[in-house]
Order: sequence, then C-alpha cells, then structure tokens
Amino acid sequence: MLKVEHVTKYYGDFKAVDDLSFTVKPGEIFGLLGVNGAGKTTTFRMIMGLLEPTDGSITLDEKKIDYSVTDTIGFLTEERSLLTKMTVKEQAFFYGTLKGMENDNIEKRLNELLEKFGIIEYKNKKIKELSKGNQQKVQFIIAILNEPKLLILDEPFSGLDPFNVELFKKEITEMSEKGSMIIFSSHRMEHVELFCKKLAIILKGKSVLSGYLKDIKEDYQKKNIFVKGDITKDELIKIDGVVDVIEKADELEVKIANRDIVPQVFSKIKNKKNITKFVVEEPSLNEIFVSKVGESYEK
Amino acid sequence: MKSKLNFLIGVSLKRKVKTKWFVLANLLIAIIIVAAMNIDSIITLFGGDFNKKTTIYVVDETKESFDIFKKQIEAPNSLIGETESDYIVKQYEGTSKKAVKILEKKEEKDNVVVHFKKDATKTLDVTITTKEFLSTSDYTVLNNAIQNTKVNLSILSSQIPVDQLNAMYEQIDIKRVVLDKNKKSEEESMDMIMTTAFPILILPFFMLTMFLVQMIGAEVNDEKTTRGMEIIISNVSPKTHFFAKVIAGNLFVLVQGVLLVVYAILGFALRGVIGSNQIPGGAFDNITSVIKTVLSSGIGEKLIYIIPLTLLLMVLTFIAYSLLAGILASMTTNIEDFQQLQTPIMIISLVGYYLATMAGVFNGSLFIKILSFVPFISAILAPSLLMLGQIGIFEIVLAIAIVIGTIFLLIKYGLRIYKVGILNYSSSGLWKKMFKAIKDK
Repeated sequence: MLKVEHVTKYYGDFKAVDDLSFTVKPGEIFGLLGVNGAGKTTTFRMIMGLLEPTDGSITLDEKKIDYSVTDTIGFLTEERSLLTKMTVKEQAFFYGTLKGMENDNIEKRLNELLEKFGIIEYKNKKIKELSKGNQQKVQFIIAILNEPKLLILDEPFSGLDPFNVELFKKEITEMSEKGSMIIFSSHRMEHVELFCKKLAIILKGKSVLSGYLKDIKEDYQKKNIFVKGDITKDELIKIDGVVDVIEKADELEVKIANRDIVPQVFSKIKNKKNITKFVVEEPSLNEIFVSKVGESYEK
Repeated sequence: MKSKLNFLIGVSLKRKVKTKWFVLANLLIAIIIVAAMNIDSIITLFGGDFNKKTTIYVVDETKESFDIFKKQIEAPNSLIGETESDYIVKQYEGTSKKAVKILEKKEEKDNVVVHFKKDATKTLDVTITTKEFLSTSDYTVLNNAIQNTKVNLSILSSQIPVDQLNAMYEQIDIKRVVLDKNKKSEEESMDMIMTTAFPILILPFFMLTMFLVQMIGAEVNDEKTTRGMEIIISNVSPKTHFFAKVIAGNLFVLVQGVLLVVYAILGFALRGVIGSNQIPGGAFDNITSVIKTVLSSGIGEKLIYIIPLTLLLMVLTFIAYSLLAGILASMTTNIEDFQQLQTPIMIISLVGYYLATMAGVFNGSLFIKILSFVPFISAILAPSLLMLGQIGIFEIVLAIAIVIGTIFLLIKYGLRIYKVGILNYSSSGLWKKMFKAIKDK
C-alpha cells in the first residue's frame, strides 16, 4: 500500500504541498486532481523519490521509497520524457535496463505491448519520427514495461484520439485488476470519473476534498434534474432552492441546492403537458471540482 | 543484473561513437592530420621542390670578389644546425647582359644574377637581378654576403699581413658558461623551438578538452530538455548519473586521443613510404628539432618521469573539466544556455593554450609560474615551463596535487548542485537555488 502522510514541501518560502495525506491500496485507482500549479507534479516527484518532502512521510508497503524499490514503480510524466533520438526499441531497452529488467524480458514484453497498441511496425523507428499520439503510446508502454506495482500516470491521455483512449483505459483497468496501485491525474474529469473510485482534489498544495467518489457525490448537496416537456426556464427558476436552469437542445437542466428541493420541482411540472423526462442525477465530478476549487476550470 | 553505472556509461559512449557523424568527423580529421604531416610531399606533387637550390650567377668585373662572396654564401649555418648551404654560387664569364638572359629560361626563373663592379668611392657597385621578387630570407643572405665581401676587399686593400689576416678569419671558439647548475646551455635554443613547435604538440589536448565539454553538455541537456531525466533519475541516483557522464566523457576522450595518435602514426608511416622534402622552418621540421634538442640537452633522461607526470596531470585535468561541464550543464535548461555558460571554460582553456605557447617569452616570470599551478590550465602550461627548465618536478607534483584538490571540491559541492540542477527547468532564481544546494548536505 502507498501511504502519503502529512506531506509538506517547501521551495524556499513557497509552500508547494501542504499537509497532504492519502493512501492507495493494491488494485485501487486513485485520482489526484488540481488545477495547473496545484502541487500534483511535486507530489508525484516526491512519491518517485526525486524530491525529499520537507515534512511528512511517503511509504510503499511500509518502506521509504528509495532506489531499492523504484524498479517496481512505473511513471508516465505529463511532458514527453522520451529520448527522441533513440528508436522505440532502444528507448525500451534503455529504460527497461534502468528498471533492472533482463534483455529477454524487455524484448518479450515490448513486443507484446507494441502488438497490443498496434504500433509494432514502429519498433525500429526513431521516436522523433513518430506522431504525437504514437509517442504517447510509446511513453505509456515504457511506463508499464516492468509491470509496476505502483503506476503513476500524469495526464496519460494527452494527444490521444478516442479510440486510443479506450485502449489505454482497458490496459489501466487490467493492471488494476491484477493488483497494481495506480495514481492518476487528468484535466479531463470524465476520465477520472470512469476510473477512480477514490480521489483527492488539491488546491495550492492543500487537499480540499478527498475520499471515495461515491461518497463525495452523495455528500455533495447540489443535484441536477433533467426535464423534457412543455415547461419554460422562467417557470422553474422561480422555485425556491433552484440555483440555475440551463437550456439544452431539447431539455432543461435544473440545478438545485439540495435533494429536498426535488419534490417541489416535481410538483411544479407534474401538471404540465408532454413531460417525457424527469431524471434526478448526481452532479458531475467536473461540477464538484469547479465548485470546490472555486474558479473556472479549463477543459 | 547489469550494473546501472556501467550500463549508463556504455549507452553514453555508444550514443557518441556509434554514429555516422563520429565516423565522418574522424575520417576528415585523419585526412587532415595525414595530409598536414605530408604537406611537403603534397606541395612537391603540385610542382614545389624544397630541395632545389638557388643558383647565384656571379659576373665579377672586380676579378677579386667572386671567391670571397662564394665563401660567404656557402658557409654552413651553424646557428640553426644546418650543414649544407641552400645556394650554389657560379661564376659567369660573359657579360651581365648575357647572364641576365639565362633567367628567362623556365628552369632558371628562381635563380639570381649578382653583378660586381668596382666603384671608386664605395669599393663595390653591386646589382642583383632576378626574374621575380626575391624572398626576404634570400635577400638577407645576399645582402650579408655582399657586405662581408666589401669588408674583406677593404681589408685586403689595406695590405694587412697574411698571418694577421688568417687570424682575423679564424672561427672563434666560444665557451658557454651557465652559472645555474640546473640549466644546461643546450636548453637555450628550446625557447625558440618551443614557441613554434609546442602549439602543435599541445593542440590535441586543447581539441579533446573542447570535445569533452561539448559531449557532456549536449548529453545532459538532451536528457533535460526531453524530460527523460525524470525517468532516469527516478531509477538511478544523480550521483550515479553524474559519474556515468564523467566516465563516459573521459573514455570518449581516450578513444578520440588514441585515434589521433593512430592518425599521426599513419602520417609518419606514409612519410616513410613516400619520402619527405621537409619545409625548412615548417611544423614538422620544428617538431623534429624539439625531439633532437630534448635528446641532446639531457632532458631525455628525465622524460622517464616527465611523461608519466604530464600524462597524469592531463588525465586529472580532463576529469576536472568533465566534472565542471557536468555541473554547468545541470544548471542550464537548454543547449543554448549551456553554450553561453561554457564560453568561460573555452576562454580559460584558450588562455592556457596561448600562455603555454608563449611560455618562453615570459622568461620565467613569477606570474607565469603561479599560473602554471592554476587548475584547468596547469596541464599544458606546467609541462611547457618544465621543458623550458623554468620549473622543476616539484612544481609539477604541486600542480597535480592542486588539480586533485579541485576535483575533490568539484565532486563534493558540484554533486550537490547537480542533484538540484538536473531536475530544475526554470532559470529564475537559478544562482540562489544553486548556492542553497551547495549549503544543503
């Protein structure tokens, strides 16, 4: 289990991470969310042992993370971390050997993953000659080459088309099912929602929300009601507790302050004609994120 | 399991050596070195002849100048160790007009006609005729010989007794005494020779230093700018990475150095096969002179310890340069910044190079002796002063000790900078970060 306990990191006088705590158990996918500069990369660097926390501790299976355990960790950085003058094969052998893998094992695993991601023909091509999407695939393949016990994915879907996003999701899910601990960071909340049962939202290095996604959504008071029928936005906005009404293509999205408002909205529309939809939904993670972070989120 | 240090060294070295650019660059270097060492043969191939002597046709109307003039011209130049004159002096029996016509022949175009006539007031009236311009050295030789001829004629006309005259012409046996027992009189000519030949001997060291600094800087920056550094450093410690770069850089220098020696041997071998026509005063001539002078001065016996100590000093200096290059490269965020930061290293190395080539000019001043202990330049300056006899073995050993001390400091404090620098991507507050890194253990 990965344990991040009361970790604080200062750069000079600047506090980059402030008393951050979370745990990731084997088989769990943990989402670490935050706007740019929130402290995600610093946290990842501390987990990888690249930076020493000013305070607090980080352990993997009760042991401090050092070079004796980094062979069991996979890391995909937000920026491309590939040596672009190397071929895909050279790159895999370079990072694979640094992870303590034997040549036979690297070759076998590389072929298997290149086949899986449909880029086996690029094995002997230089990385700089590949498209952005294919470079991202190579980066992902190299991060999981050693079948890591702990996998850190910082924006893994960057530059990928929807088809390849699905391929990545499938592989990440399979790794989680095999018992890997995965920490996941993305600006795309729909991706985080799909994967992460557990997450933390950090703002200016401090955790503003953390826990299981299900609990977070349930605890979040605001809900959304989707209505389709002969009723106008003006009629709904007058109801006490209705925060906002958004007109969509053929329906209205009614944002309410809490679950208690649902009966009032229902009583208002029940006598209206042609009501074909009335659905109460949990808010999206994006809404919760924007609300908690308190500023507009750039998709 | 493979050693990660050895693996990183191997990868670094392979990235540098196993490229078509390395092969191409070495092919060019080999051609240049072999060609430079056989430049006289190449020039000969295109019609030049360094062994061809200049014929001086003398039209002597005075009937007494020719013999004296001939003696003056053909006298061996003992000062520069020459035993044979570069001129043939022939008396022309015809008129000067006819003599001049000889020069119009193609094979005679480089020859000279000297016309001696009597002059009532100045003893001699001399005309030198050539087809083209006369070189400065040829003109000096002719001028000196003519002046001496005039003096000799004047002495003869003053009717000095033969015995006295012979005594006047007799070669003086000059005895040379040097009070400093550590100095040998034969070493005196080293100054002149070192100034011309030493730059060629130390040029490879200077070149290899540049290769070393460039290689380490480019590699560290490549890994930093591609962010590959984060993955590398998450698997090997910065210390391992740093030493891998330093060792790989020095191994590369060793490979390149050996190749330079091989090219030089090839050049020598080719010289042996095709023969040589040494350019008087040329680079090859000077190097040969250095070797001869070194052997004749007795320094040759000292070479048994001078060479190993000099090589040790050079190896240690390469290590110091590579450590410095690694540290500076870790602080920069791209290769352009590194190129700017390496300029001072280049200047230091260049200053060392020029001081070493001009060491003789400083005539053993305290300033130049102190500079010979300064790390980074001591490797070329100290051996130069040692060859000139301006410093001794003790000073060389001291210079080695200072470089070792510098290496220790570079490892101790430089490694702290390297650890912080390689994961730093911002140039803001750079020096503050680096000074903080030095303070933090």
